[in-house]
Amino acid sequence: MTDDMLRAPAEVKYAEELDWLESIDDGPKPFSWRLSPRMVRLFVLGSERSDGLDREISQKWFGDRSFVERSIVTLASDRGLLLIGDPGTGKSWLAELLSAAICRNSTLVVQGTAGTTEDHIKYSWNVSMVIAKGQSRESMIPSPIMTAMEQGVVGRFEELTRSTSDVQDALISILSEKYVSIPELDDDNIVFAKPGFSIIATANSRDRGVNDLSSALKRRFNFVRIPVVTSRRSEAEIVRFRTTELLRRHHIDLDLPPTLLDILLQSFADLRAAAASATSDDERLESALSTAEQIGVLEDAILHSHFFGDRTLRAQTLAGSLVGSLARRNPEDLAILNKYWHGVVEPRGKQDGGEWQEFLEGGREAIATLS
Amino acid sequence: MTPDTFDALRGQLLDAARTFAPTTGTAADASDALAGILSGIVDDVDRALAEELEIFPVCHHSPASALAMVRRLREKQPKVVYLELCEDLRPLLDELRNCRLPVALQAFASDLDGFPPGVGPLSVVAPITEASAEYQAIAYALDTPGVELVLVDRSTDHVFQWLPAEPAESARPAPSDGDADADVAERAEEAALHGDAVGIEIGDLRPRFAELEAHLLHHGKVRHWSEWWDQYVEQPLTGADYDAYRQVMVLIGSLFRRLRPSEDERVSRDEERERYMWTRMREHLAASGADPADCLYVCGAYHAASRVEQFGLASDAPYEISPRTGTRWLYGLIPSSHSAIEAQFGLASGSVSIAAATWSKAVTRFRDTPFRLDGQKGAAKRAKRPALPPPSTPAAPVADRLSGFLSSPPALDGLDEAELLGWCVDIVRLARRNGYLASTADAIAVFETSVLLAGMRNRARPTPYDFQDAAVTCIEKDVVPGRRDVRHLCEILLGGDRIGQVGYEALPPLARDVYDRLAPLGVDLEKRTIQRALLDLTANPELTGCSDLLWILRRLLPEDAVRPIMGERRLGERSIQESWDLAIGRHQRSIIELGYEAITVEQALEQRLRRMVWDPKATAAVALEAVEDAVLYLGGGRFAAELGARAVELLSAERTVDDAPEVLRRIRRLLAYYRATEPALPEWCEAFVTAGYAHYCTLLPTAFVDEETGVRQVAAMLGFLFSMESLALALGCDRAQLELAVLQSHPEAPAKVALLWAARSQLGLLPMAELRERCDGLLANPLVVPSFPMYLSGFVQALEPAPALAPFVVELLSKAFARLPDAVLLPWLPKLITTLRDQAGELVPVLVREAGRTFPAALPSLDTFVPPWLGRPSGAAKARPGTAPVGGPVGGPAAELLAGHRAACDAVAALLGCDGGWQEIADGGDPGEAGALLARHPETATAVAVLLDR
Repeated sequence: MTDDMLRAPAEVKYAEELDWLESIDDGPKPFSWRLSPRMVRLFVLGSERSDGLDREISQKWFGDRSFVERSIVTLASDRGLLLIGDPGTGKSWLAELLSAAICRNSTLVVQGTAGTTEDHIKYSWNVSMVIAKGQSRESMIPSPIMTAMEQGVVGRFEELTRSTSDVQDALISILSEKYVSIPELDDDNIVFAKPGFSIIATANSRDRGVNDLSSALKRRFNFVRIPVVTSRRSEAEIVRFRTTELLRRHHIDLDLPPTLLDILLQSFADLRAAAASATSDDERLESALSTAEQIGVLEDAILHSHFFGDRTLRAQTLAGSLVGSLARRNPEDLAILNKYWHGVVEPRGKQDGGEWQEFLEGGREAIATLS
Repeated sequence: MTPDTFDALRGQLLDAARTFAPTTGTAADASDALAGILSGIVDDVDRALAEELEIFPVCHHSPASALAMVRRLREKQPKVVYLELCEDLRPLLDELRNCRLPVALQAFASDLDGFPPGVGPLSVVAPITEASAEYQAIAYALDTPGVELVLVDRSTDHVFQWLPAEPAESARPAPSDGDADADVAERAEEAALHGDAVGIEIGDLRPRFAELEAHLLHHGKVRHWSEWWDQYVEQPLTGADYDAYRQVMVLIGSLFRRLRPSEDERVSRDEERERYMWTRMREHLAASGADPADCLYVCGAYHAASRVEQFGLASDAPYEISPRTGTRWLYGLIPSSHSAIEAQFGLASGSVSIAAATWSKAVTRFRDTPFRLDGQKGAAKRAKRPALPPPSTPAAPVADRLSGFLSSPPALDGLDEAELLGWCVDIVRLARRNGYLASTADAIAVFETSVLLAGMRNRARPTPYDFQDAAVTCIEKDVVPGRRDVRHLCEILLGGDRIGQVGYEALPPLARDVYDRLAPLGVDLEKRTIQRALLDLTANPELTGCSDLLWILRRLLPEDAVRPIMGERRLGERSIQESWDLAIGRHQRSIIELGYEAITVEQALEQRLRRMVWDPKATAAVALEAVEDAVLYLGGGRFAAELGARAVELLSAERTVDDAPEVLRRIRRLLAYYRATEPALPEWCEAFVTAGYAHYCTLLPTAFVDEETGVRQVAAMLGFLFSMESLALALGCDRAQLELAVLQSHPEAPAKVALLWAARSQLGLLPMAELRERCDGLLANPLVVPSFPMYLSGFVQALEPAPALAPFVVELLSKAFARLPDAVLLPWLPKLITTLRDQAGELVPVLVREAGRTFPAALPSLDTFVPPWLGRPSGAAKARPGTAPVGGPVGGPAAELLAGHRAACDAVAALLGCDGGWQEIADGGDPGEAGALLARHPETATAVAVLLDR
């Protein structure tokens, strides 16, 4: 089934793993959860030998264990879960994994945008059907959140703070009363949430101040802040994990040399340090330099070398895609990259030689082309 | 204990080694190594327990250790207690009863002998908290008659002797981890209570292998070491009997000892310490003849599993204790705090507070009566200490308690609902007080989440760490509203940071003196908050002493310890009212450390000033500053004269003039002060002026041409030479020296050329007219115009040595503004302003006043305004009113008046030796406007005339 989809949702992709976990799970399960909280944690963070399982469960989300535990516990409680953090820290991926593990359905998603209306959160009407048959449950189109309430599963709300305050506040009654009334109907006009219903919302901390949450809504969410990964080791694991997945998706057989991964991580670390010490926005790259961005750079380089190169990932290609992805503003970003290339990469290339040298040349070429 | 007590366990472990080793390594060596480690651990336990001298293994900040210590001391009642603590700190322990814990024992040395230069000052701190086994041992030993407390660890001198060149990272204050957003400053301040001292503590028990710790944390599913320790060792051992406690502690000590990296430089140091301690104990036993059965050796579990050959009383392996260096160590107690301890030893934030809370709970729960020093501060008074019951008889042979401990999961406490509920309610209340919108609903959510989290982490009873996580999850939103975040609030709730205080009796003489002398202020100096003191020195002249002391403290202590809000002290000035912000309670450590320097603050200041001026890098400016301080704070006198003499020496030896502006500023101030207050200038001042005159005259020609010497420096030199000239000449200097020096100067830089012109004009070598002509010439020459601003800068700086040039500088500036092309003028303007502000702040008023005199004050008169330098015809000076041509007849009312009353003028003329006689008074001269006015209103003049005639 996963072959027919460009990107299968977590519950489809890991269906077999989830089935197996469910079969061995004897822990207490809250509400209608398919897995006990401990198994959910195991699914997300992977198994270890000390867990004494017959098969290995791979780690799918990399980060502090306590974040996952706090998130699971929140979902088992009365409150919604709000994952907040910088772009590219894996909030949505964690939300998807949690809903897949808890209720095997991670697709009930509302995407928050400036154009999101209350209808997207509650329900809307199939106009032609209303004209033909009048307003009834049949002619009503439930939103993903309402569907989640009806089924007693987890609904997701992506980028909550991108939608306007009045739309956000529609969640207040859903989260406290746990029902939605449909005043247009005379009977059967209340949809009650079944046990197991909860909401995982994500919010970008860089959007703070755009549409601030009301205190009433804040109260109904537990906030779990996901920090940017700064540990080199976990970052390497995340990049490797996501890239392997990508290669599999594209059916690409290509080796990811560890030295190149090191170069990528090192250059991001350098650029982050530079951004941290910069005093104005002009001296800072526009990119947030998140882990997701690194994966993007690597993906770009892999695809490029697969389709246009000699099917081997080279430092030059990597440098080209790094420059291509990070240079968004001309001349500011290019100037920063130029400075980085000549101030940091060049001495390192001279000192270490090898791949750094190639990386240096590739970057220079790319900067020259873009300038 | 029978020899085969642990045989069963040993066999089990060896079996395990055989089973697991092949999977971890391919070679048979791996299996052997693992077997070696596992059986070695059991051997260590066996050996430590079999030792004739009872070894009590402890771990720092472990309530379980403290509890076991209380019980063991009551049971055994040893006569001698050996403690793993620097032996030279022993006298300090008696002072502990005067303090509120936690405090730190400190040894301090600034006067080094035997250590490489530049490493000082050396400082060691050993913090003592109440919830520690060592405090229990100390309290028991000090308050029980007939019990001797012997510290056996190496001396503080050895601590530094054995320290590698660069102190180990762990010994220095480690940065606290992560969660520093809300109240960093406050926490940093509390964490810095120990300063940069090297920390030592009893019972350091933590894996030395970073990987081992990471492994334990990972598999224990906990975040930091304190949490792991709490769950796997602390809780199971809290209620355990003594045998189980001892065996488990030695086992852990042995495990960490065997799994340490062999290249760790601490290994050899630890072994050296063990040799030292055993040798000391054997020496003491031999000297005192005590029965080893009546003794107890309290040491870290790590040292209980020692493998050194000196281990055990039976050993006779020799060990020679190396002598101390000649360094003189000073000892004292300084206040400490839980957060300072955490920061110093890299513990998780809040862990010491949580340990303290656990301790007090355990004491209540098990109904144990802990030992406490009589008179200890910060505790309720006890009526009378009950006498200790007689020691119990020796217990039956020790059984193997390890197998049970290792094979069963930790027996955890059940859910203490009341306790958790209390925490939840309190955290919500605390959060609300700190700006969070927390409600009862949050308390419920925190409760539920704590239980769920604990369940996920395999425990029935939520630990403080689970509770903290739950509270953060439920209450913390996107922003922290106040100064403290929820994590910190939880720490406060679970015990809070406790800050110790050193009692008055335990303070060094200097600190006591400070407290005594500030007592008239009526301010509670022990409080940690900032206290405001108001001193009305006119109404209460007795407070003058306090004021003097406060100013000295201001000079000696860190910036915010004492801060004047109103009032200042400068040379020749004293405030009549002062208001101070005092944070002495918070800076107790600084005062105590000041006490290591001297007996009184005056002496400390004197020593510091002396050190300042005798420093190899000292300059004349530094010495003058010291003189100023000596005058301000110590009343000047002989000491100021001594420092002044040193200033003269330093000035004569100086080869650069970088400090000239500073020297000029300070000596001017001092001269003004001495002239105003003393009948005669002190000798050193005179010497300084003559030496300075000669010195700067000598250096002037070089300074003028030297590219590295700035215009400001040269201007200051000239300023010194001109403004001190009269004094210097009076003291025997020769003006020719200065004239020659100026003649020898041939600067090339425009600014310095201008300076030289100004100097020559001041000396009368260059008439003003010629100077004006030269400057006009510069302005007229298009090739020089771009550098004209430089000349101007030079002239502005020249106001310092030649203030009389002010009108000319105003004229020049006006001309520059009028005539310089914009391309030259505009880029230079900002530079002029910044130069004026930074370097010539005191010259600006002179310029402004002069400009105000020159230019019209009102707008309408500007149209007709002609600058004096433009409107003045040639020879105009002669036409100035009041300068009548010499030789012609004089007239007018003034002349008539003088001629009418000649006595005064004759007297002045006789005094001046002028015998020109009287000129003829012209009659009927033009009376002018004034004459006409007087003629119209003669009354005033008549009245004056009558008055004069009388």
